[in-house]
Amino acid sequence: MSKRKENLLGIAMVMPSFISLLILVIWPVMISIKESFMNGEGQFSFENYIYVFTEPMMLNNIKHTVVVTLISCIIVLFISYFIAIYLRFTSSKIANFIRKTYFIPMFVPGIIAIYGFINTYRDNGWIARLIGQENLPVLMYDIKGVVMMNMWFNIPFTTMLLVSALSAIPDSVIESAKDVGATKLKIFWKFIFPLSYKTMLVATTFLFMGIVGSFTAPFLVDSNAPQMLGVSMQQHFSVYHEFGQASSIAVIMFIMSAGIGYLYIHSMMKEEK
Amino acid sequence: MYNRVKKLAKKSAVLGMTGLFALSLTACGSSEDAATTSKESEQEKTEISLYTGGSLNVKEFWQEVIPAFEEEHQNIDVELVFLPAGQGGQSTMDRLIAAKKANKDSEVDIYEGGLADIVVGEEEGLFTELNESNIPNLANVKAENLEGTNGLAVPHRASSVVLAYNSDVVKEVPETPEEMYQWIKDNPGRFAYNDPTTGGSGSSFVLTTIYNQLPPEAMNVQDESIMEDWDKGFDILSELDSYMYREGVYPKKNQGTLDLLANGEVDIIPAWSDMALEQLDKELIPENIKLKQLTPGFTGGPAYMMLADNGEEERTEAAETFLNYVLTPEVQETVVNKMYGYPGIEWEFLDEEMQKNFESVSGDYRIFNGGKLGEEVNKRWQKEIASQ
Repeated sequence: MSKRKENLLGIAMVMPSFISLLILVIWPVMISIKESFMNGEGQFSFENYIYVFTEPMMLNNIKHTVVVTLISCIIVLFISYFIAIYLRFTSSKIANFIRKTYFIPMFVPGIIAIYGFINTYRDNGWIARLIGQENLPVLMYDIKGVVMMNMWFNIPFTTMLLVSALSAIPDSVIESAKDVGATKLKIFWKFIFPLSYKTMLVATTFLFMGIVGSFTAPFLVDSNAPQMLGVSMQQHFSVYHEFGQASSIAVIMFIMSAGIGYLYIHSMMKEEK
Repeated sequence: MYNRVKKLAKKSAVLGMTGLFALSLTACGSSEDAATTSKESEQEKTEISLYTGGSLNVKEFWQEVIPAFEEEHQNIDVELVFLPAGQGGQSTMDRLIAAKKANKDSEVDIYEGGLADIVVGEEEGLFTELNESNIPNLANVKAENLEGTNGLAVPHRASSVVLAYNSDVVKEVPETPEEMYQWIKDNPGRFAYNDPTTGGSGSSFVLTTIYNQLPPEAMNVQDESIMEDWDKGFDILSELDSYMYREGVYPKKNQGTLDLLANGEVDIIPAWSDMALEQLDKELIPENIKLKQLTPGFTGGPAYMMLADNGEEERTEAAETFLNYVLTPEVQETVVNKMYGYPGIEWEFLDEEMQKNFESVSGDYRIFNGGKLGEEVNKRWQKEIASQ
């Protein structure tokens, strides 16, 4: 097969996914960007963005979204990394049990998990009945509840990513380091962390994008105000029927995700050089 | 030997193939016949479509009514087009308007909608006029529900927001809104209404609180100038905020507050009568939950059926037959028994037993007809009350 033919074949094989991406993702994104720059009469204007960046309610929503996302990302990353390290270097019965079960939350449908959470942690739910209502911190209709829900949804996948990254580190590296007398902490900082740092970046990107745009958990578990941007966007769209404002919120969420995506790609390219 | 077998196999295969081919040909013929005959009988049938939307109970209701109607009227086929809540109820109206402007058939024959749709329909001339000559059963309909329809709609069922309370705890149930506000202040943390942007019962609480401070006719004003007069109502809401469930938590959706009541986390909530009655009947909420309407009541209102003006006489007639059927006592009993809604026709035409189940919620509801102002109330609520 000639080089040119090969090229054409390659393009033809990419086409189906590219076209579906174009129709299902890029086209709607373009429409909402266009809509975000239109006022009620369909003319070009910045009023939707002025609204989003001057209205105190919206500013609080943006701040709230960033705070929830950052806190959730940090906690999830920390716990997942801890589990992954534990699973990589231990082979006890408990470790094996965790290895077999840690991804179960991924198979529980989101809405069912959320209702399960509500029934377990609400003010007179299962936990409150066990330990007494006054001993249970307020979790429902609160930022703490949303963060806990994000942990449930994201820890399994993040752990999976990190476990595979850590198992790619050959035992020989660690053993030879041990042989020359490196402490455990030193092994971690000099070998394990640098070798799994790239995967952590990938995980952070996935985490951030997933949490910034989440809807169901914040809708059912979060407080009435401030809201996360996904909830606020739905409200502007289907309750207030302010399509322009809803679109501009969508664009802002898109830019936030794109920013993290850029950081990720940037660091990847730098390493390749 | 081997050759003979091979030949035989070949022969039988050919035979088999021919046989199969012949069979398939005859099968084709017969299925074609069947198609033409069924087409002929279909031609005598008039097909009409019913466009509706809302919660699942609306869909279940029609899925019960339509087959019964088709049984009775063999020559009419009703197609149900159901658009779930929040997924384009508006689009049916847009479709009607577009078809009218282009002078085309909208293919919508019957549309189930709200009061605001009638107002739009009247402006655009979308609906056929209905009266007792084309819908005889209209004579049995409650007169107060016909107000505002201008002869363009059939109010065939209704529901309203009422107070739902835990009768084990609440002994003196508030009778008026003022008593209710006092009760809320006397019992901090024991009352909840849902986020009004997520469900009608919370929205009704907010609306009635605002409009109770204004003259009764204000509920029909659609002019934005009235928004200045909302301050007093919003002051009350913001004062009540700290006495609400957990000092100002508003659960999402109508079900959110019902769950709180069922779990005993609060003692009184506003709730949709049909929703609460249905869940009481299915024992999804405990028996000690009782319902009561205030005076003046919460908002509520009928659902209406409109006849789209398509200029297709045959279909219009079939649609009229259907509307008339919906107002018969049998269907109205389904409204009461299956939807837990208020019937569209007067109680005297229905079973007395049924009326008893409804006594607790039989107080008068009010109809909010502020159109787009409802959205403005929600916006202001989100900014001022939710963020408190």
